Amino acid sequence: MTGDYRRFALTRAGQAIVVVLLAYVFTFLIISVLPGDAITNTLRDPQHGLSEEDIQRIVAFYGLDQPVIVQLLLSLGRFLTGELGFSLQSNLPVSQIVGDALPSTLTLATTALLIAIIFAVAIAYGAQYLPGKWAAIVRSIPSFFLSVPNFVIGLILIEFFAFRLHSFTTTDPHSPVATLFAAITLAIPVSAPLAEVLIASLDHESRQEYALVARSRGLSEARLFAKHLVKPSALPSVAMVALIVGELLGGSVITETIFGRDGIGTVVQKAVTGEDQPVLQAVVSLSAVVFVAVNLVADLASPLLDPRVKLRETKLKEKVGA
Amino acid sequence: MTTFNTPEFRRRAFLAGLGALSTSALVTACGGTNASTGTGSTTPVDGGNITFLIQGYDTGWVSSKTSISSYEGNLWGQITDKLVYVNEKGELSPWVAESWEELNGAKDFVIHLKQGVTFSDGAPVDAAAVVANLNAWAKGDSTRGVSKVGLFPSSNFVSAEATDAVTVKVSFSSPSLGFIATLAYHGCILLSPKTLALPVEAQADLSQEIGSGPFVVKSWKQGDSYVLEKRKDYNWGPAALGHTGPARLDTITYKVIKDTSVRTSTVVSGQADVAFNVEPQEIESLKAQGFTVGTPRYLGFVDGFQVNTQAFPTNDPAVRKAIQHGIDRDEILKTVYTSDWNAATTFIQGNVPEAGEFSDTFKFDADKANKILDDAGWATGSDGYRSKDGKTLEFTLTPNPYVPSTKAEDELIAQQLKKVGIKVNLKVVDVAGYAAVQASKPPLFQTSRSFVDVGTVAGVLTSQNKGEDWFGLGTSDQKLNDLSTAIATASDRASREKVADQLQQYVLEQGYFIPLNQLVQRLYLISPKIKDVQYNGLAYANFYTAWISQ
Repeated sequence: MTGDYRRFALTRAGQAIVVVLLAYVFTFLIISVLPGDAITNTLRDPQHGLSEEDIQRIVAFYGLDQPVIVQLLLSLGRFLTGELGFSLQSNLPVSQIVGDALPSTLTLATTALLIAIIFAVAIAYGAQYLPGKWAAIVRSIPSFFLSVPNFVIGLILIEFFAFRLHSFTTTDPHSPVATLFAAITLAIPVSAPLAEVLIASLDHESRQEYALVARSRGLSEARLFAKHLVKPSALPSVAMVALIVGELLGGSVITETIFGRDGIGTVVQKAVTGEDQPVLQAVVSLSAVVFVAVNLVADLASPLLDPRVKLRETKLKEKVGA
Repeated sequence: MTTFNTPEFRRRAFLAGLGALSTSALVTACGGTNASTGTGSTTPVDGGNITFLIQGYDTGWVSSKTSISSYEGNLWGQITDKLVYVNEKGELSPWVAESWEELNGAKDFVIHLKQGVTFSDGAPVDAAAVVANLNAWAKGDSTRGVSKVGLFPSSNFVSAEATDAVTVKVSFSSPSLGFIATLAYHGCILLSPKTLALPVEAQADLSQEIGSGPFVVKSWKQGDSYVLEKRKDYNWGPAALGHTGPARLDTITYKVIKDTSVRTSTVVSGQADVAFNVEPQEIESLKAQGFTVGTPRYLGFVDGFQVNTQAFPTNDPAVRKAIQHGIDRDEILKTVYTSDWNAATTFIQGNVPEAGEFSDTFKFDADKANKILDDAGWATGSDGYRSKDGKTLEFTLTPNPYVPSTKAEDELIAQQLKKVGIKVNLKVVDVAGYAAVQASKPPLFQTSRSFVDVGTVAGVLTSQNKGEDWFGLGTSDQKLNDLSTAIATASDRASREKVADQLQQYVLEQGYFIPLNQLVQRLYLISPKIKDVQYNGLAYANFYTAWISQ
């Protein structure tokens, strides 16, 4: 059992490393295919009035005139030794740029995740236990949440809460209240798939015999929900939450832009438009690590929530091992 | 063809709509209070803090890279000084340079420095420091990744030397009438020699950028906010600004807010004082609410097209003239811009002292355009487009991504030229893609370029002296060669002005350049309580004289 577990953990860790390296190489190649580079994009601004010769001299300083494969190997070598390098756009250390932006995004993403879970559970509960007409309305909320673009929600919240009610100021986007509204903006679309999965599994579980038995023994719906239905229904949702973390990391771009928060989302956006390879590489690798880690945790948590998962897993391992 | 249906367009349209809605909602909410707060005392008061919203500081703080940037340039202007000041009319006046002499037919210059000027670390802004700066502007240092200053007359620069503590002698191998004007250019900011000697990675650290300006960096968080505070011992601002001593404001906080509608609404709601680059369409309603909207013009080329005379169909002079006369500039100004914009009168901005009045050479006249094309044998087909020898009269326009409003402009031009039988396709690219478009030498290339001295023009017209050869003529047009040589080598301003006149007329008559309107690339939305913001010839707002009325 422990040997199996160790092998399982090692395999997953190995896969994680491969995923991160592949993400690194892919990002590098995609950026290389785009026309221009971070240096010429800045220096070619006609206002500079620099000649092509002047520009090429600076491009050579950054080694951007070398073949792509040479650049990739150099960059990969630096990355493997833990050196993230300097931004081509701003010349600041990549570690500083990412380090400055990370806390803001983590706060936003964590708050948004909590809010999304609360929304999803509330919607799912309503869908189960509200009287017919209302339940139907509640059931349509997830598709509504999904179809309203993020920036619309953000702008409406800012308009009402910042400019009319003065609940927060847009010039201080990191204040707790501003963070809360940014998190709500981000949570709304994210809560939709979570709510849908939860509704579907609650529907499934409440039709099971054990639920019927519990009801026949006079258990109230609220107690049934809390004591018996939530745990089995949560299983698919845990996998969903792991996927959502990816969305929170990526989806923060628009929310951060609208609310004027400097975070990983805006760093990525700037790095992509400016073709700032070192910054982009670092952020993509970081996101890959986070994403893989969260999914690993979700995989490991599944057996705890549902013993059947553990059984299947062990049986599978036995088969593979044999 | 056009991009009305892209998500980006819809998003922008939505944002513009919401911005307008929120703006009008706020007017209603505030009632008439704005009007009454606007009429404070007219005597400047010291003190106070302002917040300036800007969409981004992405390219950072290596001065050689970003001192000319529309974004970073705003902050550089508050923390650094220049040797010479240039006002909105292109007039030069002393700043850190108290006076200067032009000797030996504009080949040698002697600059006399103001005494007692210091960098914020206490080091003197003396002749040695100025020489270090001049060398950095002229040559850069490619071994350290530091580029030269683009518009600095480097090709004939010989040397800069300190003759005593406050005197610098600069020599050129040939007449360099534009030199003094260049010293007022936003690329030529004075930095401590200590800063200049740093490797670029260290120069990226804004707190290491030591200037001698009226403000110093108090704190900063890249991509988020930058707090500047006034230098209490500052006393060497340009006399032209009419103020002595330190700045009036205590601090200026530059705060990054990417979204244009949020920036605008934040200022309208009173949560910030200045917003950079608002939507031109919103200017009228903002002004009606008592806000000031600064639309300074910079010195340089107008918004317009440089014409490739070697590419089809602009290799035909008739086509070039027809395009000039087929574009209705008034309609562009009315539709895309507001009354704060001006039509072009030549291919250089109206505030350049040498700019002439040549509107007639490219005046809108659809009948004339049609007649020129008819006479040249371009026959109109059943689809409404003209053709000749089996080739349709068509070309592709790429809006200038450095000036976002050119997209709407070019969409309108496509419609206007359709009326004279010219088919215009639009291709929208980003900044990275624009370089590739330029390299492909399209028939028309939309340009935006600032300069402080008309001599710069000589460097772009032909391929002489490594010129940029904007029109693809090489050295084949003898008259153009002679005129641009005369501009470049002129040693006195009066004779140069005459040549500049002839040059403008000739370029426009030949249809080498198609002017649209005078470019406004930097817009400032300013709260009614902020007074006395001034703009220099490069269209940057200067907050040295600004104050808050109570």
